[in-house]
Amino acid sequence: MIYFDKVSKVYSPTSIALEDVSFTIAPNEFISIVGQSGAGKSTLLKLLLVEDWPTSGKVFFESNDVHAIPKEDLPLIRRRMGVVFQDYRLLPQKTAYENVAFALEAGGKEDDDIKHDVPQVLELVGLMDKAWHFPHELSGGEKQRVAIARAIVSRPDVVIADEPTGNLDPLNTLEIIRLLEKVNDLGTMVILATHDKEIINSLKRRVVTLEKGRLVRDEQRGRYVL
Amino acid sequence: MAMDKITFRRILKWGFLSFFRNGVVSAATVLVISLSIFMIGAVVVGSTFLSGIISSLEEKVDVSAYFKTSAPEARILSLKKDLEALPEVRAVKYISADEALLAFRERHAGDDAILQSLEVVGANPFSSSLEIKARDPSKYDAISKFLEKGSYGDILDADSSGQKKITYRQNQFVIDRLSSLLSTSRRIGFAVSLILAVIALMVAYSTVRLAIYNSRDEISVMQLVGASRAFIRGPFLVEGVIHGIIASFFTLVLLYPAFWLIGKKTSVLFGGINIFQYFVSNIFQIFFILLVAGVLLGVLSAYIAIRRYLKV
Ligand SMILES: Nc1ncnc2c1ncn2[C@@H]1O[C@H](COP(=O)(O)OP(=O)(O)OP(=O)(O)O)[C@@H](O)[C@H]1O
Ligand SMILES: [Mg+2]
Repeated sequence: MIYFDKVSKVYSPTSIALEDVSFTIAPNEFISIVGQSGAGKSTLLKLLLVEDWPTSGKVFFESNDVHAIPKEDLPLIRRRMGVVFQDYRLLPQKTAYENVAFALEAGGKEDDDIKHDVPQVLELVGLMDKAWHFPHELSGGEKQRVAIARAIVSRPDVVIADEPTGNLDPLNTLEIIRLLEKVNDLGTMVILATHDKEIINSLKRRVVTLEKGRLVRDEQRGRYVL
Repeated sequence: MAMDKITFRRILKWGFLSFFRNGVVSAATVLVISLSIFMIGAVVVGSTFLSGIISSLEEKVDVSAYFKTSAPEARILSLKKDLEALPEVRAVKYISADEALLAFRERHAGDDAILQSLEVVGANPFSSSLEIKARDPSKYDAISKFLEKGSYGDILDADSSGQKKITYRQNQFVIDRLSSLLSTSRRIGFAVSLILAVIALMVAYSTVRLAIYNSRDEISVMQLVGASRAFIRGPFLVEGVIHGIIASFFTLVLLYPAFWLIGKKTSVLFGGINIFQYFVSNIFQIFFILLVAGVLLGVLSAYIAIRRYLKV
């Protein structure tokens, strides 16, 4: 379970990214965060990942206030969250296979487990044939599928995707969203930030709408309304 | 968190892989570290060699005191003992009149005219003397004062004006100049080495930092994927070690012809002492210094540079 408790983030008086945002996300839920550009979607996810600190309020991951976790323990909690970004953020010097394996190596998994799990996940995203390609040898859609493979390979409690389809054409977009739905069907919480109307309307899942940093709507089976 | 074996092995693996995959950047880093430790190597060899030259020059300086032919040998030897007890004095050598004559004959063996003139004189024209070496050239003044003012003044030979025959008085100007020149060149040598070393360190650090700056996005992604700081930092440190090792070999290969050339050009200048020979006979110590400097430079630069990018 994830709980945002009266979270505000003020970068400067003219740039208030989040204002008093509170909501809860249940395990197994597929939740979309929508809102116009600058509404605060990325900021919200950054706070959850402890990439940044809230000006006030708290973010809970299960019973942990994530911003109270000591620095050296942060990797432990981050291994329970898989991340996917709009710009993929693969490690450029590592092949698709190595990018996925890196998440497991960092977690100290045994070699045998890595050899078993990585091909399985690459198979799931349909990229086993390009496992030994470097990121610059992959298309945008393929890169994003590698990123999803990396995000789910350590079987995290939640997959966090910040506009994962922002740079993709409609066909690849559909494929990525299907993958995220599959991940959710297998029992993993998915948090998807997007401003793609088509996606939201086709998902028919919970939608939280932000407007200038404020939570203005929170609907089950929501639609994209702005 | 203690590092387990599997993590250590993975850090080694990624360090090596990154080194090779980074190709151009790795080569550039090795090159810059090489230049830095080349300077350090040149400075180390150059300054030890210079200080060797300075010592050998100082070695050549001495003063001699000449005695009246009437001076009894026992008193001269007792003066020798007194001199040796002085803290300023390093060594005293007694040369009797006979030995001086013998040395003269040997030096001019074959020069009949000179040897014949000795015959004409008949008696031994040389006086006995003490050859005194001081601990350093600035001490000769004190030693010569001791000779002049001491209780042995009566046995010292003197010229017609009453000036005692002590070579220091005759060479005073040269010895003083040499002594100040030597101490100045030691100080300048030290300052130049220090400045060169600092410049070398800064250039190497900047290069490594630039390379790691280029990886800053990767570093933050690794952190978000749940890699510990040690796991992220490790491969960079391994790369630093590899850079240092290769650079030290490379530098040794560069120094070899450099000193060979310098040695050829300067051996005349330094009276036959050759810097190349010095380099070759100390090559293992020099390599060790280069290796330590290179590895420290590679690893410490990486360690310091990566700290600022391990933020999130
Ligand atoms: N590091 C920062 N410093 C100052 N202001 C920032 C910073 N990051 C974000 N902001 C501001 O916070 C607000 C919210 O930004 P955020 O990136 O969360 O928006 P978003 O909803 O993700 O937008 P988009 O859909 O364009 O990605 C914006 O007004 C932005 O200018
Ligand atoms: Mg955003």
